[in-house]
Amino acid sequence: MKGKLEPAERQKLIEEGKNLKEALTTLEEDLVKLRDELQIEAQCIPNLTHPDVPIGWEDSSKLRNMVGSPRKFDFPVKDHLQLGKELDLFDFDAAAEVSGSKFYYLKNEAVMLEMALVNWTLTEVMKRGFTPLTTPEIVRSSVVEKCGFQPRGENTQVYSIEDSDQCLIGTAEIPVGGIHMDSIVAESALPLKYVAFSHCFRTEAGAAGTATRGLYRVHQFSKVEMFILCRQEESDMYHEELIKIEEDLFSSLGLHFKILDMATGDLGAPAYRKFDVEAWMPGLERYGEISSASNCTDYQSRRLGIRYRPSESPSTTSKKGKTNVAATKFVHTLNATACAVPRMLVCLLENFQQEDGSVSIPHPLRPFMGGVEAIYPKSR
Amino acid sequence: MALQCRLSGATFQSLKLATIPISSSSSRFIFRTLPKTLNLALFSRHSAPKAPPFSVLIRTLSAPAVAAAPAAETSDIKVVKPQWNAAIDFKWIRDNKEAVAVNIKNRNSNANLELVLQLYDKMLNLQKEVERLRGERNNVANKMKGKLEPAERQKLIEEGKNLKEALTTLEEDLVKLRDELQIEAQCIPNLTHPDVPIGWEDSSKLRNMVGSPRKFDFPVKDHLQLGKELDLFDFDAAAEVSGSKFYYLKNEAVMLEMALVNWTLTEVMKRGFTPLTTPEIVRSSVVEKCGFQPRGENTQVYSVEDSDQCLIGTAEIPVGGIHMDSIVAESALPLKYVAFSHCFRTEAGAAGTATRGLYRVHQFSKVEMFILCRQEESDMYHEELIKIEEDLFSSLGLHFKILDMATGDLGAPAYRKFDVEAWMPGLERYGEISSASNCTDYQSRRLGIRYRPSESPSTTSKKGKTNVAATKFVHTLNATACAVPRMLVCLLENFQQEDGSVSIPHPLRPFMGGVEAIYPKSR
Repeated sequence: MKGKLEPAERQKLIEEGKNLKEALTTLEEDLVKLRDELQIEAQCIPNLTHPDVPIGWEDSSKLRNMVGSPRKFDFPVKDHLQLGKELDLFDFDAAAEVSGSKFYYLKNEAVMLEMALVNWTLTEVMKRGFTPLTTPEIVRSSVVEKCGFQPRGENTQVYSIEDSDQCLIGTAEIPVGGIHMDSIVAESALPLKYVAFSHCFRTEAGAAGTATRGLYRVHQFSKVEMFILCRQEESDMYHEELIKIEEDLFSSLGLHFKILDMATGDLGAPAYRKFDVEAWMPGLERYGEISSASNCTDYQSRRLGIRYRPSESPSTTSKKGKTNVAATKFVHTLNATACAVPRMLVCLLENFQQEDGSVSIPHPLRPFMGGVEAIYPKSR
Repeated sequence: MALQCRLSGATFQSLKLATIPISSSSSRFIFRTLPKTLNLALFSRHSAPKAPPFSVLIRTLSAPAVAAAPAAETSDIKVVKPQWNAAIDFKWIRDNKEAVAVNIKNRNSNANLELVLQLYDKMLNLQKEVERLRGERNNVANKMKGKLEPAERQKLIEEGKNLKEALTTLEEDLVKLRDELQIEAQCIPNLTHPDVPIGWEDSSKLRNMVGSPRKFDFPVKDHLQLGKELDLFDFDAAAEVSGSKFYYLKNEAVMLEMALVNWTLTEVMKRGFTPLTTPEIVRSSVVEKCGFQPRGENTQVYSVEDSDQCLIGTAEIPVGGIHMDSIVAESALPLKYVAFSHCFRTEAGAAGTATRGLYRVHQFSKVEMFILCRQEESDMYHEELIKIEEDLFSSLGLHFKILDMATGDLGAPAYRKFDVEAWMPGLERYGEISSASNCTDYQSRRLGIRYRPSESPSTTSKKGKTNVAATKFVHTLNATACAVPRMLVCLLENFQQEDGSVSIPHPLRPFMGGVEAIYPKSR
């Protein structure tokens, strides 16, 4: 239409242009809708799986390693609830009135023991080069979703705040994952290693039965979480590092446990590979999960928008000093429980109970408890 | 700590923080336990097993006439059963109405004493009438036992039926009246200690000052700048992840928080307090019983969606709830608790420079002291609590003043309140780091916490039968032992050194693995 035209010809072109414009608008709208639908469907696709991961359900999980063996008791074993009652360490009844079931107060030495566990764990993990953090426990629901959780699904584990788009965190993995949201990290900064302490809140919707008595399954608990952002080629290596740290921590405390390579049916959507640690709980007469270490590769980083720019190699720098900027890549993220306090309390109380009703404190924790060596029954 | 969040019983406290313009006629509605949106279906699904089925007091804001009219017509107002009842001594209020009126005025409360007295009077009269009718109905019933002519019997049956209907109506009215009386009376604030100054903030009286502002011979930085240079916190990332007034603590700040909490717990335990950690999600009724308003406008309280639960703004709430609805042996008193928890506050209505950085945040760690004691001893324990705070803060080397807060600044539950304001050189002013309140029986009447005085030997008869003494309400007190973010502001700003480092107070060093100072990181 830029050239010289007869009026009739011009009019014809204007008509054609208008029709094309309308058709285009409709198609572009359809395209947006299609993209959105594609996005929603595709986001349901779970992460890839490490080739060594066994295929199947819980019973297909593979034993990687076992440390220690179940302690032999020559007196009747009490479970943590009974020990807690006799040693005046927790109160579930008052909490049921004030808050509801699966809430609790910790009392007396249990308070000092929780602090010692957190303090010691943070100190140990910091020694290995992790940056300590405390985090917000209220976060935007979009961040929860980007980490691979579902705030609004049926039977969701996530508490939501009324009249807002905010939720309570179920793990520090979420606010830590969010730190570098929508940013490009320099490759030289990697790996970024964080150890975060927070309270965690879970609805535990749908969980019922004996496996939920006492401290084993609660709505609120303290947890120390390790989180790594690294280059793609290194995530397998850091996964091994994380599980090794967990192994060291739990052996230092004298626990007996096994490490499992979880089968495909038990991985969450984000996990490429997941190692669970199950510790022996003599009062419950079974192994119970105390920790989990997952390699999420780029599942979370693609959602959180965390990239890194690989450093240019000298060969790409032209003689005039102009550097070729390498394309960005998505970081890999990993997370692992360093200490989930209630499950640790179950383990410590049940494993280290003595015949006289006292509980012996593992040596590494004693300096963090003012030197206290044991918890004794209170005189009444 | 920051008791400005108390709104029940209507103080204008919140006006200073909120910027909501309030017209005088509608003002009393702002401070009531009135949710604006009602969802009765929601409530019925989640009513606690013990509580009677409850709904909510509905008052249309377009009916200021209700506030003005001395005798509220119950037909205008749908009064439904409150979820719980405070054990209020109406007779005492009536017998002491002048003192109560003066107290309400001094505290600038919106409680309507006239209405309470009228409703109480009405209720007493209605009760008498109900009793009279019951008496008559019994008469009729007795008469019907004897031998009667059929016509006479029929007449009595009619009379009985009429009485029964009249009685039913009156009894329903009585219930409604009781509920309304209860709701109005629960707005009446606690009494006030005679030594408390009357007035607003500037009337608060200085009790004591410890130390003096440090003299700096180099430019003073505020905690935000120190935090940035020492890589101690991150507000920016938190703003993206959570919103404003959230933060991450990093590096030595994490260890410093743990050291503060650990040291504080240890020190207070030495003084005979039982350490606790508490639930941070509680039923909203418990929040209300402690004197807070979960659903008021500009509420400080976060609520959990699809439930009757809230996040706590202070451990005072779950600790107050431990002995809810129970009778404690007198020999068990005093019960002294020191509780560590995270606290969550919406800080709705708070804005301005006084809210930068760590000074005003939505989430923080706090160590709280709570005492339940005999009535005669609460003044003494109030002194004990403020003394503990004084000891703690002096040990850390802080300079601070202790204020006896004036009537206009007391929340509804507090009989007397001491605030501690510490010098914050970076902010160039004193900032509140702690608060110690004596709530006497305000909370215990709502939480239902009583004690049974031990019988004296003289009341025990020779046959071994003991006279059971009537129960009394405990007195409750609460005091902040350590509010971490404000302490971090104080420590960073007061103990900064010229080289940019911050020196750790000696008592905290053993709890931080011996670390003596926080140094700038080499970059």
